[in-house]
Amino acid sequence: MIMVLISVDLEEEKMYKLYAILIGVLITIMVSFNGTLESHIGNFFAVLVIHIVGLLSISLILIIRKERPVIKKGIPRYLYTGGAIGILLVLVNNICFSNLGASLTLSLGVFGQLLLSSIIDHFGLMGMKVYKFQAKKLIGFSIILVGLIIMTIY
Amino acid sequence: MLYIILAVIGGFLTILNMVINAGLGKRIGVFPGTFVNYVVGLSLILILVLMMGNPLDISTFSNIPFYAFLGGALGVTIVASSNIIIPKIPAIYTVLLNFIGQIFAGVIIDYIRFDYISKGKIIGGILIILGILYNTNIDKKQLTEGK
Repeated sequence: MIMVLISVDLEEEKMYKLYAILIGVLITIMVSFNGTLESHIGNFFAVLVIHIVGLLSISLILIIRKERPVIKKGIPRYLYTGGAIGILLVLVNNICFSNLGASLTLSLGVFGQLLLSSIIDHFGLMGMKVYKFQAKKLIGFSIILVGLIIMTIY
Repeated sequence: MLYIILAVIGGFLTILNMVINAGLGKRIGVFPGTFVNYVVGLSLILILVLMMGNPLDISTFSNIPFYAFLGGALGVTIVASSNIIIPKIPAIYTVLLNFIGQIFAGVIIDYIRFDYISKGKIIGGILIILGILYNTNIDKKQLTEGK
């Protein structure tokens, strides 16, 4: 019985891992769709269209889930800047996609993610716990850098 | 070189976005948080577009393939499904598996757009995955030793 339960659990985790890969595929498809839109109507109008479609989609989800957006008091103001950062992010992605292609844009983005998360962890920024940077991790970063250089040169 | 730096900055923005969105989601709920995000984002880009003042040529819309309009809907799908996945598997795996999906979809899309398979991109992608795996293991050890 226990073995069966464990194997079901494992199967479930495998499923979620598969979903995580699928989300990655979706991210790339999204970046390239957005890039195509940008090449037709320009960066700013593309971001406008992307956000109109996005707002319609999330409204639909809220209606289906019967949830209501509420504005609560006492929420730190910077938490409302996510939308503004999102705008910058889409603008940057669109520019890079047309100039660097999909794979290089995404790889450099992942490198940036690893870099900033290491910095956040090392100093415990934004209320996160401190995890000091370990010199051993430079090996991993070097391997990643070599991968990026190979991607850029080819 | 400028675009390379810009793409790395894009990665910085992704992390900032995730941390801030998670913070808002914790307080008012994930989907309402996403809604607020899109309202703020739409208002800002509307102001930017109006400030620039050059009109949008509607006639060009007929030349745009329909799928190009679906990016915004995909964005919401990604946020919603990530919120289901993230609590179920360790965060490090989420980054790693997302990247694996991204890089190979990227190679395929570049193949469709430019009609060539880049060996360099595949080799580079595999090296990047190995590098992430290596550092992930160090992170894991640090976490278990800390407990």
